[in-house]
Amino acid sequence: MNIYLLQVANGIGIGMLYFLLAVGLSIVFGLLRFVNFAHGAFFLLGAYFCFQCGEMGLNFWWSLLLAPLLVGLFAWLVERFVLRHVYALPHHFHILFTVGLALVLQEAVISFWGPLGNNISPPDLLQGVVMAGGFVYPIYRLFVIAVTAVMALLLWWVLEGTRLGAIVRAGSESTEMVSLLGLNINRIFSLVFALGAATAGLAGALAAPIRGVDPFMGVEALGIAFVVVVIGGLGSFSGALIGGILVGIVQSVMSTVWSEGAHLMIYIAMAAVMLLRPNGLLGRAS
Amino acid sequence: MKHFVHFRFTLLAALVCLLLPLLVGSGSLATEVLIFALAALGCNLLLGYTGLMSFGQGIFFGIGSYTTGLALLRLQAPLLPSLLLAMLIGAVVALLVGWFAIRQRGTYFVMLTLAFAQMFYFVAYTMKDLTGGDNGLLDVPRPNLSLFGHTLLATTSPWQYYSFVAIVFVLVFWLLQRVVDSVLGRTLLAVRDNETRAAAIGYDITLLKLTAFVISGAVTGLAGGLHAMMTGVAPLSNIEYHTSEAILIMTVIGGTGNLFASVLGASFYVLIGNWLSTLWPRWLMLLGFLLIGVSLYLHKGLFGVAQAVLRKFGLRPPADTASVKEQHS
Repeated sequence: MNIYLLQVANGIGIGMLYFLLAVGLSIVFGLLRFVNFAHGAFFLLGAYFCFQCGEMGLNFWWSLLLAPLLVGLFAWLVERFVLRHVYALPHHFHILFTVGLALVLQEAVISFWGPLGNNISPPDLLQGVVMAGGFVYPIYRLFVIAVTAVMALLLWWVLEGTRLGAIVRAGSESTEMVSLLGLNINRIFSLVFALGAATAGLAGALAAPIRGVDPFMGVEALGIAFVVVVIGGLGSFSGALIGGILVGIVQSVMSTVWSEGAHLMIYIAMAAVMLLRPNGLLGRAS
Repeated sequence: MKHFVHFRFTLLAALVCLLLPLLVGSGSLATEVLIFALAALGCNLLLGYTGLMSFGQGIFFGIGSYTTGLALLRLQAPLLPSLLLAMLIGAVVALLVGWFAIRQRGTYFVMLTLAFAQMFYFVAYTMKDLTGGDNGLLDVPRPNLSLFGHTLLATTSPWQYYSFVAIVFVLVFWLLQRVVDSVLGRTLLAVRDNETRAAAIGYDITLLKLTAFVISGAVTGLAGGLHAMMTGVAPLSNIEYHTSEAILIMTVIGGTGNLFASVLGASFYVLIGNWLSTLWPRWLMLLGFLLIGVSLYLHKGLFGVAQAVLRKFGLRPPADTASVKEQHS
């Protein structure tokens, strides 16, 4: 029994990371109305920036700060100077554009850092395990849960409690209305796109010490982010949270029951949710 | 001349099959072009004629490879039955995936096809007894095309196999051209251009989309089967996301809305890829930039470029068979 409880706890740790990965995708979709296929590549970039900071001798805390900022800056530049010109085109071209971007980023990562994976060790402070009763839990995972929880609260506060959040939510309802009210919607688009990318970058940087880095983690992350938002409902903050934790728990628990099929079970869970709740657990009818 | 209008692209496709041996030195490279052209045709039927962007074509390609491989290895089935089985299983899996994914429209649909591509990758990875897991199915044989013990067409050498694939390719191209020129094909265009209106007129949208999906799954499964026979392995990579992505990219680069455009796209992808990968292993990066360029400037892909070039030389280019979309975007 204990092992399952431990796996549920583990699952919450992974799940919070999945939430952080998926929430950016969800918010960007809510406002910009397209799914960013380069989101996985931003996750990849975050992880490799974290790795690079370690290589350059910067400590881990700096890399946690720098990786998301750099990814966000890059995304801002892409949105500001190129992506913007695709908005007027039919929907398919938005997706193709981001697929192309993801391909470019993945190949760029391979040419800079090589095709093989690397490991990153968490800082000394976060190494080791916590023992409480019968539980053994890695400190780093606790740290990840804490950081993602703070980020979740912060994002929630930004979306619900600030003027920017109000504009983003209003923009999700109708971008035309928002721009008619005299707000520069283009600036908001850039900002939200960069914010979404930065959260993916942070998720990548946080995930790097857990799973290592390899050039193909972006595609894997993209698949998982899609599962999370399909389960939780696209464009919904709490949907991403519930979906993320659910996927994390399913994956962890299944890895003790049937380790080979742990990844497979996530997708089966998705198919089951699709059958029962086609718009996701908390999704709005499209 | 009415018939010629319907046949001209098929003739063009046949011409490509005749020209490829003159342009390409290696039989297996030429075969690969045709195989991926088949896969791109299946993708084009969805994207160009039904408006469905599928990131899951690798599912059917991979399943086709495994089916043919298993039929040849375990059942010692002859050439044609094992390919037909690949088509059948490809169609059945497409029916299943389509039934789930088509319940959603637009963005959700696209995301679901990608999620299913990942799901089937893990299915193939998990079922090691059947698929060989990471190693794939090895030593897939390539029997000759024979009838009652008489060999009709040998497939031993690469160029012999090429001629078999070329016959299959032209046949499938002709059949697909018939499909898109039929009432069904025209109705699919109606679904692509305005789903709500097509539904209001009384068409069963789900059924139409599923039909397109099943045809596409069968064609892509066939391509996968041919690929397994060509390389002698049914590898795990055939069912990976990257295969799905490659098939979609070929289709988009070629141009949608005309079947021949997919032949251009696949030839470009395979031949240029083969050439560039020897010069620079990271050539996919250029492909990414090309995709960005296509989505920004060349919406009609290489086929559109070819049309423009023909027009410049004062020739009347063949019109898109499916250019109704223009006014829309």
